[in-house]
Amino acid sequence: MGKIAMILRKPPYGDINAAEAVRHTLGAVSGDMEALLILVDGGVLLARKGQDDTATGFTNLEATLKDCKEMGAEIFADNLSVIEYGLRKEDMVEGVAVANESDIAAMLKQADTTMIF
Amino acid sequence: MLVIIKSAPDTQEGRRGVKLARAMSADIVLMQNGVYFIQGQALEDLGFAGPAYVLEDDRRLRGIKADDTAKYIKDISYDRLIDIMAESDKVMGMF
Amino acid sequence: MGKTVTLLLSTSPYTFENTLSAVRIADSALSKGHAVNIIASADGVYCFLKKQKAKGITNAEEEFTRLMQKGLKVFL
Repeated sequence: MGKIAMILRKPPYGDINAAEAVRHTLGAVSGDMEALLILVDGGVLLARKGQDDTATGFTNLEATLKDCKEMGAEIFADNLSVIEYGLRKEDMVEGVAVANESDIAAMLKQADTTMIF
Repeated sequence: MLVIIKSAPDTQEGRRGVKLARAMSADIVLMQNGVYFIQGQALEDLGFAGPAYVLEDDRRLRGIKADDTAKYIKDISYDRLIDIMAESDKVMGMF
Repeated sequence: MGKTVTLLLSTSPYTFENTLSAVRIADSALSKGHAVNIIASADGVYCFLKKQKAKGITNAEEEFTRLMQKGLKVFL
């Protein structure tokens, strides 16, 4: 099967984009595709540790992000976005790799399909 | 006067809400992606120096800690929000 | 004395966090004895369709039905 890249540009919870990005990433790995989830701009905030969904009725997207990783998806956060949004290494979910712009460009070139959220 | 802001600091809507609150000497309530304004100097950069309230549930959901927050920003519940809205002569938003 | 809170809901139920915010504000305000109106405009009217099946996110039909029984008034 092919390789699919999901790009998430929006922070989690304010709208459905982050939830849809992880959902489709899970779908892709479940369907034996090679899946990359690339967090850019506000999307890097999905990688923040310590998300607490108590009493909100939301699915915890930090937990879902970890599920993506465990099921074999590769997860990257754009370095400049990480800096811009004030995330430190210790704030971030383990297993999310920080990548620079040229790394991300190379990944996107290799992917057969790209979905943007 | 109270201005409610639900948009993130990287949006025109969010920034407009903060600037409007500053111009009207209004208090602000941060909810949804607006809670990201409590990080770093996002409010100060727009000339806003309080008072500001942040909805605790929306902050916790995003994994943001209250520890580093400036003193003029207070954590509130939805119940407290309703009291603050009821006490305000005017409520504007949500930006 | 109770006041009146009127919320304008203009977004579809499952694309934005507004559904949850409207539900939480309306719920708290009603519990505190205030009157609460929701005016559903544009895609906000989809929040009030029957037979919604959402899980893992605020189910608009279930929550707004519960709040209407608590006194919420909705205008489409």
